[in-house]
Parts: sequence; C-alpha cells; structure tokens
Amino acid sequence: MIALGLTAVEKEVMIAEYCQEHSIRKVFVLSPIRFRPLFELPCEVEYIEWAEIIMYKFFYRLLQEINNYTLLVINECLRIQDRNDLTYNCIRHFLNQTKNQFVFQYLPIIDSIDDFMILFDFDTRSKWKRDAFCGALLRECEIEIKRVNVSWREVRVETNAATTKTYAREKRRLIDDIRLRDPHTIPRNLYLISGKEKVKSIEIESQYVGRNNRFGLDNMRTYRDISGTGQYVVFELCHNFIDFIDFMSVSRQVEIPVMVSDLKVDQWYYDRYQAWGKRLVDAYSALQP
Amino acid sequence: MIVIKHGESDWSMPIQRYSRRLNVLEATRERMVFIFDSFEQIIVSISGGKDSTCMAHLALSEAQRRGRKIGLHFLDEEVVYESTVEQIEYLMGLFPENVAKIWLQIEFRLTNATSVEDGQLICWEAGKHKLWMRPKKPYAIQHRMWSEESQTVRNKNKGFGFYDVIENFERCYNGAAFLVGLRAAGESPNRWRAVVKNPVHIADRDVYWGTKKDKNYSLYPIYDWNFHDVWKYVYDEGLRYSKVYDWQFRKGYSINQMRVSSLIHERAFKSICDLPEFEPKTYNRLCKRIKGIALVQETGKSAKLFACRKLPKNYRSWIAFRDFLIQTHPDQERVHLFVERYQRHLTNEYVARQQCRQLLLNDYENNLPIDNKPDPREALIQYYDEVL
Repeated sequence: MIALGLTAVEKEVMIAEYCQEHSIRKVFVLSPIRFRPLFELPCEVEYIEWAEIIMYKFFYRLLQEINNYTLLVINECLRIQDRNDLTYNCIRHFLNQTKNQFVFQYLPIIDSIDDFMILFDFDTRSKWKRDAFCGALLRECEIEIKRVNVSWREVRVETNAATTKTYAREKRRLIDDIRLRDPHTIPRNLYLISGKEKVKSIEIESQYVGRNNRFGLDNMRTYRDISGTGQYVVFELCHNFIDFIDFMSVSRQVEIPVMVSDLKVDQWYYDRYQAWGKRLVDAYSALQP
Repeated sequence: MIVIKHGESDWSMPIQRYSRRLNVLEATRERMVFIFDSFEQIIVSISGGKDSTCMAHLALSEAQRRGRKIGLHFLDEEVVYESTVEQIEYLMGLFPENVAKIWLQIEFRLTNATSVEDGQLICWEAGKHKLWMRPKKPYAIQHRMWSEESQTVRNKNKGFGFYDVIENFERCYNGAAFLVGLRAAGESPNRWRAVVKNPVHIADRDVYWGTKKDKNYSLYPIYDWNFHDVWKYVYDEGLRYSKVYDWQFRKGYSINQMRVSSLIHERAFKSICDLPEFEPKTYNRLCKRIKGIALVQETGKSAKLFACRKLPKNYRSWIAFRDFLIQTHPDQERVHLFVERYQRHLTNEYVARQQCRQLLLNDYENNLPIDNKPDPREALIQYYDEVL
C-alpha cells in the first residue's frame, strides 16, 4: 500500500494495527535518517538508513530475514528521480520477500508525475517497471492520499538602481568566467545579491528559512537545520526541489510566503516553484481523478 | 525468482513473458539438458567469479549425471587474485572424472591501465619467468593450440590480446557449445537487449540466450539470473567462492562494485587500491611485475587522477590538459592512435574530459568509448543568460 501525506503518528497507528492483525514479528523501517520516525510498536523494530540499503552487509542479511512474518516500511525513500537507481533496486528485492509492506511518502513527486512510478514499482513488485505513468495502471495498487495543498504568497522586496547594476555586472562576470564550473552556480550566485537586499526587510518577529545563515541572524534557520514542524518565511528557495520537499516534509508547512525581490533571478526561482506547485496539483488530480 | 520467457509477437523484437511455472534455476537446468542433448562438445568458460562458479557447477552436475566429460576453460591473465587461482583449482577438481582441464597459460598482451610507460603487459612472457606472478601449472596448456599462419589478430596496434586468444581458441573447435556465465538480468538493459536480440536456431528451436560464432555457439544459460539468484545457488549447493567477495563485503562495497576480475585493465584497476589489504602477497608480486602499481594503489580512487573528474589546477580547461597529455605522452609509438581518433571528435570540454581519461588510462583500444556530442553545459549557460 502507498500512503501519501501521513504524519508520523498516523503511520505508527497504521503499522501497529497491521502488526496486530497479521502476527508480525519484526518491522524493518527503511528511511533516510532525517525522517526516521521512532515507532513504539509491540514487536521488534529495526531501522535501516538510506545509505545503508545498498551495502552488502545489510542487503544479504535483510534478504534472509525478511519473510511473511516481517513488515517492511519504506519511509520517505523517494529521493532520486532515476527509476533504476541501485538503492531502489535493492528495495525492490526486499519487497519481493514479503507481502507485508507499507510505502509512506509525503509528496507523490520530486519533479514530475513519472517520479510516482518509483513508489508504484515498490507496491507492484516492479511488474510495470518499463511503463511510464498511466492512470489506468493505478488500479493495480492501493493508494491512500492525504492531499498536501501548497499555496504560495509573494512577499515583495524592492531593490534600488545600484543593486540592479551590480546584478547585471555580476551576471556577465559569472557567465564569462564560468569555465568548468557547474552552470547552476549562475542562478545560485545571483541569488546571493538579492539576499543582500532582502535581509534589510527581515522582520524580527518572523522565522525565516534560507540556504545558509550567512547573515548570522537569530531568526534565520537553514533548510538542513529544520527538524520539526513550524511556520517559516522563505528567505530564498532551494535550487533542487528535493531539498525543498525535505523542508516541507519536516516542517509540514503548506502556506508558503516567499521573499521575492524585483531582480530577475528571484522571479525565476519563484516562477519555477509555482510551476512545480502546479505539477504537484496535477499529480494529485491524476492520482485521484 | 521469476523466469523470463520469450515468445512471438507482432513486433520484430521478442517479448518477455513472466511465468510462474519455473524459477531461473529450474529453467537453467532445463537449458543444460537441452545443451547436453544438442552438443557433443561442451566447454565452460570460467573466470573464478561467482557467476561462472554457478554455471560450471550446473554444467558439471549434468555431465556427472550423464557420465560425460566437459571442458573447463580458464584463460589465465597472470595478474589475477590468488583467490581466483584457488577458485579455478577448486572448480577443476570438483568432478575430476567429468572435467577436461583447459587452463590456458600462453603469451598474450593485456592492456595495463596503471602505467603509460608500460602500456601493455605480456602475460607469461617468455624469458621473464622469474618475474611471473606465479609459476605455470604443469597441466596447463602452455603453447598456442593453433598455427602461426592461421592466427588472427583483431587490432594490429594492440597485438595479440585477450579476445584474440578466445577467438583463436574457439576456432580450434567445430560445432562446440561454449558456455559463458554472462548475466543480463537486473544489471544492464543494453546487455539484455544484446543477448536476446538475435536468437540462434539450435535443434529446431529458437534459443534467445546464445549467439553463433562461425562453427560454434556461445551460450549463456544463466543470462536471466540476478545476482541474488547466484548467491542463493552458491549457498544452497554449499559451493566455495572467491574470498575476495568476503573481503569486499566486509569493506561495505556496494553490489555493483563487487567484482573479481583482472587487476590492471581500464575498468578494473581500482581493485588495486584495496589489494594490499586483501592479498598482500599478490600486491607485492604485482609491484615487482608491472610499473605503476604503487601509484594506482594510492590514487586509483582520486577524482583528480584516474577518475578524471576534477581538472588539475594548473590547467584552465580539459582541452589544455588533453593537449598537454598528448604532447608529453611517453609512448610515442601509440600516441598517434589517440591523435587520429580525437581528430574525428568534437572540440569541447565535455569530450575533452573523456579524452583525458582515455589518455591517463592508456586506453588506446577505445574500451572506454567517448560520448562525442556537444557539451550539455553550453545550452544550459545560454538558457541562464537569457532568463536571468
């Protein structure tokens, strides 16, 4: 079964009930360490970290130990868009060992609806691993969806002519001197310029989240630091969607105010996330027609 | 374990069907029966790895059941793990009455990725027996089984290499089945396609797990096995396997890194990094045998050297680094091979980085083929220039 958008408590209740009904003796939880829920269950629980899944010392032991008396929980494991990734392959092998399984994920996609097929493969023993997403296939798996409705609010920040000039100069410099550097450093570095302007508009009573705390502010947290629920104003958006998804999964924030300056890079990031939000809505519509 | 079956469809390609009737082991046993029914001469190629161990055991079991003798063929590259040699001895001694030992210890050339000065190793080179990794086996085939005139060489620049030995060796037989422990399931879709694309016709049957080579057939009876099928078989049958796997397991190697192959070619040289820990004596002998081993042991996994992921800081671009490597290449006899090949390539950083890798690994045979296409970074930079 694939369950989307559940909280840790809801997951625990679901697992506990299942364990009782199916005489489960041991639960294996495969989860990135950041999302590792500490379940209190009547039976033994073992947690395997995302990076450990591919290691032989876990792989073979798990193949041996997972059977119809064990429950396998795949928790927040949609982390890479490559459907044939080695970690996913290992998980699929584990899933072949038992019919008792739960696939928990906060959001159904990373970037596109095809990402959902990774979860779908988990639940269907990879029978349709070669197929792209298709609504007709959904009847082959059981999905429980708690929809996450993301809404964006633009917090406008005005810049001055000098900043616009600096921005144009910096953009030229970055492109001309790019040499062998990763091209994604261009928007990332331009975002730093707008950060210098946005920091002037920070309000003391609000909590902010940014890529780093380069300004040393007490009310600014980094995406990596956030470990519990809360409400934050997004000082700057992540370049990779997966980092933002991690933030959403941990903070459970769905109404997202974003600081957007009048520099082009800010608007580009904001539009990019709006488009992503639209793809997320479309994904839910495709999953729950 | 699920076996994949092939059947006819409207498409030119075969389709795979999943059948609950058989698992891969049962299917392979059926394949073995078919092979033994169809061929007089059967030769199993073994490498000392887990796959060929399983295949050899399956073939030998069938041979024993029928009271027949089959050939176990090992092409000894000299620079292999000691554990590999032990594994070959084990397999050859498993059913002695059913085995014809075909242990080839003949002179041939092997690419040495560890040194550009010593770009090739001549395995079992005459006159250098004091340097050999180990003495030859008394029962090994120590001289070529074919005449000098009939001998073929694929690549004259390289000389008589590994695949030339295989080719010439196979040509000594007529109507034989060469069993190879190649697995295509779960690892490489390209390999899978290559295996099943052209079925061969044997005994009124289309066989999707083999290819025809001149008068002989190469067959892959365990082509649909996954790696855990292999390990389950090893466990169930209580087979011995190369100790290298245990060492790699303890070191936490990931599944796709666990390989037991030659120690020095361009795809396997990284195994030298852990060799002193696994087999110190083999490492010691290897250092004396070939140049460049100690350097690879220290830097084999470094992003700046052999992996060629980071540009050394003295160079502004991969193109400049490539030109430097060509200008200073120590093997002037072979450098023209690289130059001629690169003249046909595009000039951009993406391609140049791959060319540097070939030069550093002395890959004059083009075993690490170059993806010759426009640099994907350029389109992205242009996009950012427009939108930001």
